[in-house]
Amino acid sequence: MRQEALLTVYELAKANPKVLFIGSDLSEGTLAMMKQELPEQFLMEGISEQHLIGFAAGLAKEGYIPFLNTIANFLTRRALEQIILDVCLHKLPVKILASGGGMVYAPLGPTHTAVDDLAHMLNIPELNVYAPCDALEMTNLLKLEVDNPFPAYIRFGKGDEETVSNQLQDSEDNQFKLLGDKDSERVIVSTGVCLQPILESLKLIPKENIPLIVHITKLNSFSPNLIKLLQRKKRVLVIEEHQEQGGLFTKLLHFYCSYGLDASTLKSISLGFGYIRRYGSQIDHFKHNGITPENISRELLK
Amino acid sequence: MRSNSKHTLNSKVCDNTVVDCRNAASIEELDSRSVALRRMVLEAISSSGRGHLGPALSSLEIISTLYDSVMTHNPLTPNLANRDVFILSKGHGCLALYAVLAQHGYFAKEELKTFCSFESRLGGHPEWHELPGVEFSTGSLGHGLAVGVGVAKAIRMKDEKRNVFVLLGDGELGEGSIWESIMHASKHRLFNLKVIIDHNDMQAFGSLKEVLPQENLVKKFQAFGFTCHEVNGHSRKDLTEALNNTVGVKPVAIIAHTIKGKGIIPAENSAKWHHKAKISTDEIDTLLRSHK
Repeated sequence: MRQEALLTVYELAKANPKVLFIGSDLSEGTLAMMKQELPEQFLMEGISEQHLIGFAAGLAKEGYIPFLNTIANFLTRRALEQIILDVCLHKLPVKILASGGGMVYAPLGPTHTAVDDLAHMLNIPELNVYAPCDALEMTNLLKLEVDNPFPAYIRFGKGDEETVSNQLQDSEDNQFKLLGDKDSERVIVSTGVCLQPILESLKLIPKENIPLIVHITKLNSFSPNLIKLLQRKKRVLVIEEHQEQGGLFTKLLHFYCSYGLDASTLKSISLGFGYIRRYGSQIDHFKHNGITPENISRELLK
Repeated sequence: MRSNSKHTLNSKVCDNTVVDCRNAASIEELDSRSVALRRMVLEAISSSGRGHLGPALSSLEIISTLYDSVMTHNPLTPNLANRDVFILSKGHGCLALYAVLAQHGYFAKEELKTFCSFESRLGGHPEWHELPGVEFSTGSLGHGLAVGVGVAKAIRMKDEKRNVFVLLGDGELGEGSIWESIMHASKHRLFNLKVIIDHNDMQAFGSLKEVLPQENLVKKFQAFGFTCHEVNGHSRKDLTEALNNTVGVKPVAIIAHTIKGKGIIPAENSAKWHHKAKISTDEIDTLLRSHK
């Protein structure tokens, strides 16, 4: 997903000289072609996240569209105030491309695993927050986002993920994606790369219990049309590669309370809450926290 | 409203220069323009009963000189395409900026009396979306220089001839983000960036020496790739000369030696007047009487 996203930024930069790529602490060879062909639009900067967010805000203030990429945590934690004040308070079109969303960097430990990035970002007014499920969805998103005058936080999942977004249909208002029977009593709501194990789980679920799947990429605001889908459902699984607090589940709880829906139907499958004490792989952590086809099907049928 | 002809400046950097600039700042006689600006600041504080008095008064000649005789700007067209950009990174010094902007006609002087009131456009820190002439919202220290570096880089990329001026407090230099930005300004050879340090040697609690010393600033900035000048921060002549200097390919740092609370005797070099949330009418009377 990351590689395709950066190549998309390169394509966007070729078409629009105002598009800039700003990288920090990225590996050798990142966007080598862009560096060679568009050196003015390719800025590889130092390890200085606080500065870089303000720097990007300054460039955006002068009409540029900076796409800034480094590891999610180093932006959402260290440069949180700069994102809030320099970018979002001023409604500047800085596009934050966050590598390593969730447990992508599981082997590197709790300094690198972004389990609370959505919680931080979803509490910032004016910021659009996205968690695409695959490279196709990411590419389409970036092509739209370049013309969006608002700031954005875009979470990268793991690389080489299977393309699944083309199996879902867009909602009428294009605010989320759907698969399955809208009249089903059971629903799975998810964001990011959790869609892959969710779709796998369908193979384990009896036909009469096949759920409606709702995939939400844009997390900072929910469409009222979502109410129509979720009201009077028997069981709603909320699955996310994020801590339970502050992410999709919390947003949905708030949404349910605001619209008077029955929040007791909601069940969270997430990374729980607490510092991650184990290493291994992203998949190891999915298994450890029940983000597996087997557990999803089991929880859905309870 | 205009850009002066550019001067060159041969900066002397030595310990004696530091002492000279500091002493000069201390004894600098304020001209009628500076006196009038201080009265405007006092009127704003009188109305609100609060504000950062000391940090505004140390910055007044710096900001006033920028708008009077250095920057290209137009109060009638605040977003003038070829304007220079000023960012008050030490946003708590906003009373000085407000007074200068009002004096230049960005808004009516009477509006100063609304300072910090509920519906005012003049908050305790400056807001970009609220007030014409304010280029960026500041208040949390350590932000303005990074934004200024971004603006200066953008201007260079567009091949425009505009300058960016960022005013930092010396206490603000304790923020690590400032030094990140200094490195980046140097890397990008932003000769259109002028960083001014309001070096009043104090912060809220007391002297910098006691809290966090900021010594050898000239050598520090030079080591980071800047051209550096030291000036008396209350001398319009010195400031004009240094700020209009455009020779070289490096970003410029100007260490402006100032006096916190300059021009209002009880506030001079007084941490007590760094910020006050409740100023009594007696205190206001005292300030007005002691206005030099």
